[in-house]
Amino acid sequence: MTEYLDEIQALSAVLFAVGAFGFLARRNIILMLVSVEVMLNAVNLSLVGFSRHFEDPRGQVLALFVIAVAAAEAGVGLGLIIALNRNKPGAGVADLTQLKG
Amino acid sequence: MPAVLLACVASAVLAVTRRNPVHSMLWVLVLFLNVAGIFLMLDAEFLAAVQVIVYAGAILIFYLFVMMLLDLPDEESRPRFGRHWPFAVAVGLSFAALAWSGQVEKFDPVENAVAPSAVPQIDGEPAVGLGSLENVGKALFGPFALPFEIASLVLLAAIVGAVVLARRRPAES
Repeated sequence: MTEYLDEIQALSAVLFAVGAFGFLARRNIILMLVSVEVMLNAVNLSLVGFSRHFEDPRGQVLALFVIAVAAAEAGVGLGLIIALNRNKPGAGVADLTQLKG
Repeated sequence: MPAVLLACVASAVLAVTRRNPVHSMLWVLVLFLNVAGIFLMLDAEFLAAVQVIVYAGAILIFYLFVMMLLDLPDEESRPRFGRHWPFAVAVGLSFAALAWSGQVEKFDPVENAVAPSAVPQIDGEPAVGLGSLENVGKALFGPFALPFEIASLVLLAAIVGAVVLARRRPAES
């Protein structure tokens, strides 16, 4: 229905790739989580693009659930980061080499 | 449309490559607002509002608060990327190539539609906008009522988990 489907899906793929690169390459654990948010946004774009293409609101409902899960992930992830920071100050993942607290 | 797409890619690349973490966050904010604009262009008005309010307004501010709480004075002098960053570039490029090769097959709305359109029609025209609150709400509380309840349980578990994880341990030992 929309002539933009290809562009939206290409943008979604590129954004997901950028987010995956950021998650794998960054050393700061908070920026790794932010890269995950970029990836989730790419998925949302894809869902909404298909929702527009098929004229079906279910894609948008699914995107809403993705946003809810992203909020939950941010809460738990940042709680973990604060707990880690209490044991060993700093946000570098290279310092986190042992599980012992 | 192409300008917004380019702005999205540029802000995402800047977000994952800036040295200053707060600058990265602000570029992610630009990305989220751009994505909300694209949602508007795709007739997803309610989702665009949720994107601005929940993503840009709540989640990103939460990240910024934690970033400022951690107090990382020497963050800018440390290396941004691990030594393995070329492999990360390779992973990103190969993922984009894979997703693009999957796009070769065109999606025809008539032949490949999995279900008849759920939008109520009047004389062949949609009665309400595709992403209007009425339309999304009817889908959310109709066929998706059970997943909606499960999402509330997921959020409850996340709240309890965050409180338990970030709680200061009593100094018993």
